Amino acid sequence: MTAVIPLIAVVGNDVPRQLVLAAGARPHRLTGAWDAPDAEAQELLGATDAAASHILAELRRDAHGFAGVVVCGDSQAHVRLFYALRATGASLPVHLLDLPREDSVPARRFGRFQLESLVDFCAGVTGRRPGTDALREAAAAEQRLGQALDALRARRRADPPRCTGADALAAYLAASRLDPAAALAVVDAARSTTAEDAVRVHMTGSNHPDASIYRALEARGCVVTGEDHDTGDGAWLGVAVDSGDLDTVIDGLLDAHFARTGASSTEFAAARAALTVATSQEDGADAVAALIRDLDEAPLWDLADQSEGLAARGIRLVVRSRVRGGDAVDAAAELAEELREAVAA
Amino acid sequence: MTKPAAVRERLASATRATRHQKEWFHGIAERARAGEPYVLANADAPHEIMRAIGLPYVVNQWWSSIIAAKGAADASLAAVAATGLPDDSRQYDVLPLGALELPAERAPWGGLPAPRFAIAERSGDVTHKIFERWGRREGTETFLLSRTAAVPAPEGWWDLVPTRWEEVFGAERIDFLRDEIAELVAWLEERTGSELDRAELARIMALANEQAEWNRRTRDLLATARPLPVEVTDIIPAVMVPQWHRGTQWAVDAARGLHDEVAARIEARAAVCPDERRRLMWIGRGVWGDLELYRAFQEEFGAVFVWSMYLAIAADGYVRYGDDPLRTLAARFVGITDLLYVPPMSSSWYAKEAVEHGVDGVVHLVADDTPGSALITAELERRGIPVLEIRGSNADPRATGDLRERIAGFLRDRVPARADGR
Repeated sequence: MTAVIPLIAVVGNDVPRQLVLAAGARPHRLTGAWDAPDAEAQELLGATDAAASHILAELRRDAHGFAGVVVCGDSQAHVRLFYALRATGASLPVHLLDLPREDSVPARRFGRFQLESLVDFCAGVTGRRPGTDALREAAAAEQRLGQALDALRARRRADPPRCTGADALAAYLAASRLDPAAALAVVDAARSTTAEDAVRVHMTGSNHPDASIYRALEARGCVVTGEDHDTGDGAWLGVAVDSGDLDTVIDGLLDAHFARTGASSTEFAAARAALTVATSQEDGADAVAALIRDLDEAPLWDLADQSEGLAARGIRLVVRSRVRGGDAVDAAAELAEELREAVAA
Repeated sequence: MTKPAAVRERLASATRATRHQKEWFHGIAERARAGEPYVLANADAPHEIMRAIGLPYVVNQWWSSIIAAKGAADASLAAVAATGLPDDSRQYDVLPLGALELPAERAPWGGLPAPRFAIAERSGDVTHKIFERWGRREGTETFLLSRTAAVPAPEGWWDLVPTRWEEVFGAERIDFLRDEIAELVAWLEERTGSELDRAELARIMALANEQAEWNRRTRDLLATARPLPVEVTDIIPAVMVPQWHRGTQWAVDAARGLHDEVAARIEARAAVCPDERRRLMWIGRGVWGDLELYRAFQEEFGAVFVWSMYLAIAADGYVRYGDDPLRTLAARFVGITDLLYVPPMSSSWYAKEAVEHGVDGVVHLVADDTPGSALITAELERRGIPVLEIRGSNADPRATGDLRERIAGFLRDRVPARADGR
């Protein structure tokens, strides 16, 4: 008889999967939806973008049989979601992972405390503390996933791309919800063809909770060859430390955490713009598109720097901001038209 | 018992405070124009450090309130938008950045030159980006402190924070902020050549506690006073100007002066509205561009605003006693805004204050950046206190245009007049 592996819901992009896997659980990231906000959840959250309301609604419905929830403090929406779950007496054990953003001795000390607390929480859910073998096995599995994601990125960046943006994003999202072996299979299988004359687009702005917008863009003559939001290329997947010693693993994970450029809500505009410029060039993008959900404030503050940095390299930035839940597919259709016109000009 | 006597004149404490602040501001602005350094600090930054080092500071949100009150918000937001930044996000935090671009004749009180240092906590998704902008200006450097989330978040914190603050905020969060404040100290020392005198910091902390204790007494007096003896629009400057001078003898004296003046008015049976029939609570930031709003419902409805967060948080939120001044200071700021916004800390506190002040109805102004509003509203309604929620920024005149009509409708529909007239 196969033992059932407890599922731990993850909200946000700070959780090192190695620690959760090594504690005997499977992380399952929730990302919400582009749809109109869930009214009841939105009322509890206040002014947050629609995606967060769908995550909260999903957790309150508890449709997946989660054994616990880890919420990352990587955006105000997620912190609010944690507060709302805690204050409304969630039936599930709920934990906040509150990692600092700027590297320093005090930040590392607090970050270590946070990751140790995460391990304690996961072990409390599963009844199993991560041992030497479990840490090494989880690291190996995550690293294999990381290599597969590198290969996926290379397929997207090929000319012509050998995987559509929609298929790649769907693979990213699936990988963040599956066990490492199944995730690996999904990522390896993400291969598709695109029209040779498709406009190559790098996507920035809000993250994408599902692939519907990519599909809408790609049905209209575009192909998304990469992105810098945190459900695609920016997702914290495939990162692990090859050690059986928990302290060493935590130290290595903190190195990786402080080294990455995080989501807009956590980063300076200059850092976000530098990432957009660098990755859009690596993606061979003809243009950059930003789709920003209503009430997702942080990406709005990056636009001036992104626009300036991209213009200096002759790359056009096309923006749709304050997109309300339910209006995103229409906004994507407009974006596609503008992208094609921008490149043709 | 004598009948309440209508009182229209402004509190002398409020007049003194605003006069003092204007003179102080002109002094700082003049010295800054002559090249002396000053700090632009967010309201939740540890101001006591700057005071102990001898660096003058201007509070970002206070300066925003002046910009809004003097009718310069629209022009300041337009200046923000002209740089490609949004003008409908974090207006209260960004007004001073925009006001910097206004010509002196259009800037409130002649304007304020750019600061030498800009210091804030990384609250929300955007504060760090606003302060990044400050740091890009020639001659301005930014220092950001981390903001940790409210874990734990106990109800009844107001009885614990003076001495048992570790239970309220958690040792690790306090240690983290203490260490970052120590880094801030080193950063300022390196740039100014001044050194932090820990004994001086301890003295400043003691004065701040003394000030908070006076505020607590004043709040307690007003909670039980019937009818309301002082306009809330007088209380706010009389509390908040000294708050921004926290840790000085002047601020302690101002807080004591306010207390004594309130006590004298209660003794004299003074009444803002002798025909007081509805007692209202204002939750959220003040609408600085329309302070008349707070007096607008007295004649028709006998409705007075008896409460704002400014005195109440000054009474309950700031006092901290401890042996290590740096760690005690960290305990003051590590969760101060959580007390206002994170349920159940916030909701239980507003409910306690509403009950103690005999409130009949609540107007709750909810800004985009303030979490937990629905749970605050729900807790008050659960206790039978009707709440009008209004969403909008207090610093953006575009967002608060129809406030009077909405409040009047709320009073008519949901807040019955007290039969006893008290």
